[in-house]
Amino acid sequence: MKNNYSRLKWVALIILGGILFFLSKAAQAATTTLPLQEQEVSGLVEDKNGLPIPGVTVKVKNTNRGTVTNLDGEYNITAPAKGILVFSYIGFRTVEIAVENNAEINVQLEEDVASLGEVKINAGYYTTTEREQTGNISKVTAEEIELQPVVSPIQALQGRMAGVEITPGGSNPGTASTIRIRGTNSLREEGNYPLYIIDGVPINSTPVETNSIIGTAGIDPLNNLNVSNIESIEVLKDADATAIYGSRGANGVVLITTKTGKQRGTGLEARFYTGVATVPNRLDLLNTEEYLEVRRAAFENDGVEPTAQNAYDLVTWDQDRYTDWQDFFYGGTAETTNANISFSGGSDKTFFRLGGSYFSQGTVYPGDNTYNKITGNFNLDHSSEDEKLKLNFSANYGVDINDLFWSNSISSSTVLLPPNAPDLFTEDGSLNWEEWAVADLENPLAGYYNRGRTETNNLLSNLGLSYQILNNLQVRLNAGYTYYESQELMKRPGRSYNPSAGEPNNSFHLNSHRKSWILEPQLIFNDNFGDVNLDAIIGGTFQENTNSQVRYQGSGYVTESLIGNLDAAERVINASSQTNQYRYAAVFARIGTNWKRKIFINFTGRRDGSSRFGPENRFANFGAIGAAWIFTEEELIKNALSFLSFGKLRGSYGSTGNDQIGDYGYLDSYEATPGPGGLYPVSLANPSFSWEVNKKLEAALELGIFKDKLNLGISWYRNRSSNQLVGYPLPAITGFNTVQANLPATVENSGWEVEISSLNFNSDDFRWQTSLNFSIPKNSLVSYPEIEQSSYANTYRIGHPVNISLLYRYEGIDPETGLYQIADINGDGSFDYEDRVVIQDLTREYYGGINNNLSFKNFSLQFLLQYVKHEGMVSFFNAGRPTNQRDVVLDALNSNEDYQRISQLPATNQAYNNAINSNLAIQDASFLRLKTFSLGYNLPGSLLQSFGLRDGKIFLTGQNLFTISPYEGLDPELSYSSTSFGNLRTVTAGLQFNF
Amino acid sequence: MFIKKRIKQIIVVFLASILIACEDFVEVDAPDYKIIRDDVFSSEETAKSAMTGIYNELFRSSFSNGTQYSVTVLGALSGNLLKNIRETNLTRMEFQQHEITPENTSNLFLWTSAYNMIYMTNAFLEGLQSSEKISSEVKNQLQGEAKFVRAFTYFYLVNLYGDVPLVLTTDYEQNELASRTYSEEIYTQIILDLEDAIEVLTSENQDIRTKVNRYTAMALLARVHLYNQQWQKAEELSSQVISNNSYILLEELNDVFLANSQEAIWQISPVGSGAATTHTNEGNFFIIDPVFSFLASVKLDENFIENFSEEDLRLSTWISYNESLNAYFPFKYKIWNSNEQPSTEYSMVLRLAEQFLIRAEARLMQDNFTGAIEDINTIRNRAGLAPLSNTDNLETEVLLDELMEQRSKEIFTEWGHRWLDLKRTGRYEHIWENNPLWEETDLRYPIPADERIKNPNLTQNPGY
Repeated sequence: MKNNYSRLKWVALIILGGILFFLSKAAQAATTTLPLQEQEVSGLVEDKNGLPIPGVTVKVKNTNRGTVTNLDGEYNITAPAKGILVFSYIGFRTVEIAVENNAEINVQLEEDVASLGEVKINAGYYTTTEREQTGNISKVTAEEIELQPVVSPIQALQGRMAGVEITPGGSNPGTASTIRIRGTNSLREEGNYPLYIIDGVPINSTPVETNSIIGTAGIDPLNNLNVSNIESIEVLKDADATAIYGSRGANGVVLITTKTGKQRGTGLEARFYTGVATVPNRLDLLNTEEYLEVRRAAFENDGVEPTAQNAYDLVTWDQDRYTDWQDFFYGGTAETTNANISFSGGSDKTFFRLGGSYFSQGTVYPGDNTYNKITGNFNLDHSSEDEKLKLNFSANYGVDINDLFWSNSISSSTVLLPPNAPDLFTEDGSLNWEEWAVADLENPLAGYYNRGRTETNNLLSNLGLSYQILNNLQVRLNAGYTYYESQELMKRPGRSYNPSAGEPNNSFHLNSHRKSWILEPQLIFNDNFGDVNLDAIIGGTFQENTNSQVRYQGSGYVTESLIGNLDAAERVINASSQTNQYRYAAVFARIGTNWKRKIFINFTGRRDGSSRFGPENRFANFGAIGAAWIFTEEELIKNALSFLSFGKLRGSYGSTGNDQIGDYGYLDSYEATPGPGGLYPVSLANPSFSWEVNKKLEAALELGIFKDKLNLGISWYRNRSSNQLVGYPLPAITGFNTVQANLPATVENSGWEVEISSLNFNSDDFRWQTSLNFSIPKNSLVSYPEIEQSSYANTYRIGHPVNISLLYRYEGIDPETGLYQIADINGDGSFDYEDRVVIQDLTREYYGGINNNLSFKNFSLQFLLQYVKHEGMVSFFNAGRPTNQRDVVLDALNSNEDYQRISQLPATNQAYNNAINSNLAIQDASFLRLKTFSLGYNLPGSLLQSFGLRDGKIFLTGQNLFTISPYEGLDPELSYSSTSFGNLRTVTAGLQFNF
Repeated sequence: MFIKKRIKQIIVVFLASILIACEDFVEVDAPDYKIIRDDVFSSEETAKSAMTGIYNELFRSSFSNGTQYSVTVLGALSGNLLKNIRETNLTRMEFQQHEITPENTSNLFLWTSAYNMIYMTNAFLEGLQSSEKISSEVKNQLQGEAKFVRAFTYFYLVNLYGDVPLVLTTDYEQNELASRTYSEEIYTQIILDLEDAIEVLTSENQDIRTKVNRYTAMALLARVHLYNQQWQKAEELSSQVISNNSYILLEELNDVFLANSQEAIWQISPVGSGAATTHTNEGNFFIIDPVFSFLASVKLDENFIENFSEEDLRLSTWISYNESLNAYFPFKYKIWNSNEQPSTEYSMVLRLAEQFLIRAEARLMQDNFTGAIEDINTIRNRAGLAPLSNTDNLETEVLLDELMEQRSKEIFTEWGHRWLDLKRTGRYEHIWENNPLWEETDLRYPIPADERIKNPNLTQNPGY
């Protein structure tokens, strides 16, 4: 662990330095005017503050002639005297000006704030606008996410979108988060991943397996992407938007678009930030004195004499020693640093963008463990002179180096160690086994000397080619290739482990490869027939994914320093290699029609084939219909409701599928046993399973009020997922615990989503914009014929959500025994599933976020508040056992009202175990959290110019700065267990310059 | 709707070509690490590998691997032979105290691993049945081996749990809701399997004790008949095993548990773990290393030690003592941990000494006192004890007591013998009559709760 405050110093220095820098510099503005030239038009493009805007496209209307403004905002173009010049630039309103023999045309562009309806929305195979879309697509843009100190872009979406639920997988950098779009559709945990598409290329959204402390949550496959290089993230939710992805659209689609040179113009952009992260919360646990008092009381109450066998903590261990295990295990400070540089440029027909970044983040755990990532990206746009042939190429390359190794994991049992537990190390510096083993405990630092590294290389590339064959017919080919390679080596010296294990020096090697290519030929056709406009796209998809994994273990290294060098290993064991292939093919079509851009009807269809199913079940059809009516275009309504600047009713219905199951599940097959020369069956096979089908229905109303200053969207949806494809749990008498099968069950997700954005105040100096999202989801297992006769009989209840816990009913403290008492419903004298009658819903009741963007002169402030209403579980009130407890149990020393009698008897423990499986353990885990906060200062324009800067900014950001919650566990967001946490409090500061 | 003819053509050709290409594109071959079941049984070589797989997995399967989740350890805890050194491991304490909860994870592992083994044998037998490419000679032999393993596994299930589901196919749709079958029927199936095995198995192959041959099946069937009080059959079968020259009661007690020991009828090799270690799990769990004594988990019960007379060689060679813990521990296996290749000790499942004890009991129950005493003396003699004296005056009860005493001293901490003996002979009564925690219903382990959640037709044993 480094000094906790060294990073904070940095933060302070950057801010201070920034301020001094402004004060010491005098503002100078220099404006130059170009000399007049005959038959040519030239001029200057500025923003409302008088700053030149480079990279503005200047075109002669209805021709292919055009140019862009240079770094000083100047342009020069030959134009016909009666022509019209079109000035366009992203984020600004497009302006058209007639030449009318003028040789100099200076333009002031206005920022494009009110035209939310015209915001372009990427819908995957096509683009639409917020105004005209018939489906439900949420969008976040670069500005909202680029400053967030997160590893994966998914984390940056938390709280920002209605209907999108993101839960961190843990606190380690790089850990995959859980993302649920409109609830849990599949009864299978791993069947709920959305489809990830980066620049048109689908990537495998399943987390990558690792031996590192990230553990079972896995590595987020989006880690290698540079968050700063993302232009926008769109989440497709309803049938109209997702049906074009057919079998893969059931859980929603996340489209990530990276930045291109075209959108940025010429320039160099550099950004740097650094900061620290800590665990914001602690459990209130007993200290040594309190702990020992409780333990002594337990023996006294039971009339049992404490001995070395039953009370090592009272008899053998030091009675004065105190270790705050929480501080020890997660009291550290994780450091974060990010540096980013990108250069973009080009001319009228060709643009490029080239960028690179470095990111590093530590952990809050002991030891020097860091996660590093280096990314590079390149993007090229080109079009032919006549604009008929267009090409776009993008490549994102990322290298992750992750040293997150040392121990298997920090589990709840480690922080609940008795506060007077023995030292972790002996005097000679080696791990202390003996004192722990006497108490039948493993040294919690087992694995301490393990070292390891995961190195990941990831290439995502995409080539898009299109050619305009005829006026209204375009042919397009989208080709993608992705390569993901992760090489992991863990060195496990024998001295890291309990000597009884007799562990020799070991090395564990795990190499994963994911390779995929995709080809998507498409035809795009548009035409109009009177007032009816038609846009159609027809295409095909061919995709192949090859995933392979090689693992082996080198064992018996003579010395620790040679671990990993296989030549020095006595032997290589536990070698296994697997290659899985997945192939997917489809034809799809979308026909969009509209009448006077007022009434829209879109049809989408797709026929999918997937190699994951048996030969009989490989193909299936999916489709959707979506419609919208912009009623404010009707004269009648326009006149009657004049305060409405925009009003749209839309709806959609359709089906999507889900094929997220393991490959080859239909094959009845054998694999090699770990022992030599043997073969054995490793799973049950079912040749007849097929697609899970999700039927989605949505209706929505969108309104723009007061010239679009207030925009409101309300949608209602109902998704029904049937033919549930699950790893159907089986009793072990069948040989295995699960088989891949379709269940007759139907899961329904329905709910309301509200998105409001308002421009509360807009003047030259002060601007305040608020956006709010709010979701009320409802999840329910609608039907499941003969559930009583199935292996889910005691897991799910019809009419209740999928995420429930079946609990005992808590009856209070038994006055006779003084112990927790639960209801014996069937009166048979024992407790089992028949007595678990309390159905506890653990899904979110509602959740939302409020984001505020304020700017005053050069200052900008952005903050996002996240609110979630749900229930959680809290435990650790078992006073008397040899583990630490929450300090609330001190009550039990004097009173037997809330907590049971202090005792160390097995019966007491059993009563507690029953109690934590009852409604007694349920607690409100709702929370309000300041999710992100950022304060920025834009350097004044005059100052910038003197340095040749286009833009400059210093900023301070914070994440999870405060949380308000009645929940008594560590993190109310991960309230399924009192000791889980995933949201670190992060503070960073940085600088950004655009040249 | 009017679309220009040319566009129409382009679209039609485009769509048709994609559709045609789609159909074939999604065909994929089986991956390199999997062999389709039909292919496994399409050659003798791979079919034999599948049997090797079963032998290998016996060393990884909880119930049979000799770890703390195995019949050996849990049975010895239930049978009053082993005691937990510390009382903090509740999972093991529950076995020692006969207070097993249906949620006990060791109990769950025991059950699930046994049924996984039964699946493996069922799948193997089905595969063989449908195969036409394997000679009948090889087919018979392999069938016999698999049926033996199936019978062996059911033997422990029925003895530990009483009535259990009788699963003889791999069809999960049929099996998932199976209810419990009367233990008599389970025994009928066990005997059927073993008799089939005896008929088809070779009597050769006796050098490699990890493979099942005709005598292995006879040895187990002898025990099955003994448990069912079919004294005559038990005697016949054990006699056949005893009279086979390749099985020898070894003079040197230290050699009994070595790999391919001549006393062994069936052993499981640690090679099945696939790991670097080559020791047996019993050795690793039982032996208290003098340096790392603080890591020990269990010890032998003091009362058990007291019953040994001093000159009993089994006390001096098969039991050891750790001073710092004041604990006796089983020392049949000598190796605590090892990476040396190949393994020098195998995990013992069936051995000749038990056959003598089976025959002695069978003879005794048929009032053949001379024969019974002869067999008991064989065991006493090897243990360095004097032959029974005044044999003329001994009553059945006394002789039976002596026989049970020899059983407990000879085959202690091997495959739960003690626990099963106490149960089947009713001798548990005077051991626990004064124990307030003891109940008659503790004789059967509970059906795991997890299993009953998934199969509502599984009833619980009384008392849980």
